[in-house]
Amino acid sequence: MREIGPKNPLQILLILLVLAYAAALIIAPIYAISDGAIERGWQPIKDTLQDDGVQHALRITFEFSIIATLLNTVFGVIIAWVLARQRFYGRTLVNALVDIPFVFSPVIAGYTMIVLFGRNGWLEPTTFAIVFAYPGIILAKTFVALPFVSREVGPVLESLPIEPEEAAYTLGASRWSTFWQIVMPGIWVGVIYGVVLTLARSLGEFGAVAVVSGGIEGKTETATMYVYRALHDRNRIGAYSISLVLGAVSVLILLVMSLLKWRLDRQRG
Amino acid sequence: MTVKTLNKGGLWDRPFSFPAIAWGKWSLRLLAVSYLFLLIAVPIIVVSYKGFEHGLTVFWESINNRIAYSALKLSLRTAATAAVINTIMGTLTAYVLVKYRFPGKAIFNAFIDLPFALPTLVTGVMLVLLYGPQTIVGSFIEENTGHRILFAPPGIMLALLFVGYPFVIRTVQPVLMQLDLNQEEAAQTLGASNWETFWRIIFPAIRPAIIAGALLSFARGLGEFGSIIIVAGNIPMKSQTATVYIYTKVESGNMQAASGISLVLLAVAFTITVSIDFLRGRKHA
Amino acid sequence: MKTRKTLLILALFLSLIPFGVPTQAQDQPETVTITLAAYAVPREAYEDIIPAFQAYWKEKTGQTVIVQESYQASGAQSRAVAGGFEADIVALSVESDVTRLVDAGLITHDWKANYNGFVTNSVVILATREGNPLEIEDWDDLAGDVEVITPDPATSGGAQWNILAAYGAARRGFVEGYAVDDEGATEFLTKLLKHVVVFDRDGRESILTFEYGIGDVAITYENEIFAGEAAGNTYSVIYPTSTILIENPIAVVDAYVDEHGTREVAEAFVVFAQSAEAQRIFVKNGFRPVNKEVMAEVAADEELAAKFPEIEDLFTIEEFGGWSVVRKELFGDEGRFTGLIAEVAGE
Repeated sequence: MREIGPKNPLQILLILLVLAYAAALIIAPIYAISDGAIERGWQPIKDTLQDDGVQHALRITFEFSIIATLLNTVFGVIIAWVLARQRFYGRTLVNALVDIPFVFSPVIAGYTMIVLFGRNGWLEPTTFAIVFAYPGIILAKTFVALPFVSREVGPVLESLPIEPEEAAYTLGASRWSTFWQIVMPGIWVGVIYGVVLTLARSLGEFGAVAVVSGGIEGKTETATMYVYRALHDRNRIGAYSISLVLGAVSVLILLVMSLLKWRLDRQRG
Repeated sequence: MTVKTLNKGGLWDRPFSFPAIAWGKWSLRLLAVSYLFLLIAVPIIVVSYKGFEHGLTVFWESINNRIAYSALKLSLRTAATAAVINTIMGTLTAYVLVKYRFPGKAIFNAFIDLPFALPTLVTGVMLVLLYGPQTIVGSFIEENTGHRILFAPPGIMLALLFVGYPFVIRTVQPVLMQLDLNQEEAAQTLGASNWETFWRIIFPAIRPAIIAGALLSFARGLGEFGSIIIVAGNIPMKSQTATVYIYTKVESGNMQAASGISLVLLAVAFTITVSIDFLRGRKHA
Repeated sequence: MKTRKTLLILALFLSLIPFGVPTQAQDQPETVTITLAAYAVPREAYEDIIPAFQAYWKEKTGQTVIVQESYQASGAQSRAVAGGFEADIVALSVESDVTRLVDAGLITHDWKANYNGFVTNSVVILATREGNPLEIEDWDDLAGDVEVITPDPATSGGAQWNILAAYGAARRGFVEGYAVDDEGATEFLTKLLKHVVVFDRDGRESILTFEYGIGDVAITYENEIFAGEAAGNTYSVIYPTSTILIENPIAVVDAYVDEHGTREVAEAFVVFAQSAEAQRIFVKNGFRPVNKEVMAEVAADEELAAKFPEIEDLFTIEEFGGWSVVRKELFGDEGRFTGLIAEVAGE
């Protein structure tokens, strides 16, 4: 679809309507948190960010969210592909499974992991701990953010014409290069939004992580658990500034990925 | 039109004449299915086991009581309403974002995902700070309508609108961007109005994306917990949603009941996804 | 070309990962690490107590103790420990959360040997808006036209204290206008429950809701008021004529200390937490002491004693036959109070 400048008052009205809705829904709350975070100036925010426990929490949150995002991106594209391009027995079932993590109460998801991997669990690991340790946090984050990439890429794949793929393949291009040269440019935008949503969701996850992490400060406490603790301790500045950091990162990731897409588009001409 | 490709084979889905391709097709399918099995089916098995651990009668009793029923109803009602509003506003937003140039668009586009990255607990507190009885907005509404927003169903709706807003936008936007502009232009050259172009050309193309986004938004609304626990009053039968009820049961040590309600929620979501998939499949046939 | 770039990005992401791998080089004999799993409220107190304990232990044995801290809601913490969260010491809000660990076979010693297993006390009180505009004086006013805030007894063990305080006060004849028996107390509690506008997850969230401006009166705990006032909030505090004594337990988790080889230091921590030095820190944070020496100190100090007024009729959980009975008969799924809340909600 081609981008145009709004031509008549009706179109401007439409833009204003959307902007007003988004402002009321998103901008106002963001403003409220930002305002709360800087209510005593920058120093308390700096202190919060320099705290060892906070830094550790942020680091494990980012690293584990990135791992969860990588896993979900690779498998998400595969799932989307299989669902969009293949017809097989049980496809409907597989398709319905994808959205489940959203309806799954995060508390129950965490509890399920304890039933599986906890003390006297069905699959209690013998060599290293899964729950109340890092693998549990990664697993929880991966689970809650699973649907995004496949749900973002799916509709785009379905809307793409299939002929160029077949033509390229028939002309002797390998499957891999056909995918990268023909399919990937088409689904890029979907992948980008999928990745950003996945990352954002894993960064912000609380319910399941809280159940499986144990929340040891400076060890298994994630950024959102810190936020929860800070809210409880009436440390609003701490809670809001860390929330803003989490939010800023996903905005940043979206900008970086859009830049990446823009450069790729240009390279292709 | 492009939608037809849905029923056709693709790159990895060719006839038997290419044995290597069949291998690729099966390995991809195996990867997708096993990932979903490990991450999603296994937890469902655990929850089913826990839900039915003490037999069918106990399971039935745990879901067939007034409090569980009204919690479920409240969740479904608020999630569905929020999904409808999010779908309409989300589609509009995506359309505006793709179609029109306006100042600040890039920034606006980047901020849309924020509701996800903010920990939902903070979302809840934010709503309290914005619409609580101490604030201008909150007290204004309470005084003029006699209704309280927070700690009541309207508060739940607000939270769900916030957390679900990005879904429809982000599913519809990439499809709109990929949309073939020749058709749109041809239609307009032939004298079709904007409105007609939208309904005839654009809407059919983005329909799968809208449905996918609406489903995600609805599912997310059903499962939302972090923000709701702060803005809902948690009064049984008045402002207690299903996820909060589940949490209550987990906390009071009744894993069976918690699993039972979870199963019902899962079944509802599952049925909706399957039936929409079925309806779509029939349309294409 | 593009593939290489993708691989590069992938490698960049993966290179971040090793930083997340824990560095556990604490096997030298001079250092010992223990994990404390506590409920959320006494965090500030433990932040002072832990350094004091580290100094004490260093002087006594020459060992450096690292205390890993985790603070979550009491019930969640107890379930986590039962599910495999290997905490050496648990400090929880209600006895029944420790009993769960005894039932799970994790705590095998007689944890109630010293001070009955408790480390801090408090009392259930009422908080109103500053200046008490609705002139709330005692329990009976909560059945009038007011909005009441209390945490949900189904999710918060601590919240059960509140319900028991109100019910017990009525049953002991300290709420005017109701028969002095189970029936009268139930009638009072029913009226009170009708005025509850928000059932929060736990005690702290409940008082935070109150601070956000919801409700006229919060049923809360004495130590919560200390914490709230320290953060700059103001309330009018009302001590009911009759209320319940809150007792918070602490215990060493046998199964895990034996696995970690940390029994000695973990047991010393519990003893230290009940010692005069630690108890004074608890008092500073608004808890009533369990240690007799510190109790006497508080009573002798006029200023401190004024902060912990004597309650005319203070009763304990034994009034209802102990936690095992209360958990089952009153707050269990089939419990009387659970039924009562459902009934009130259904109207």
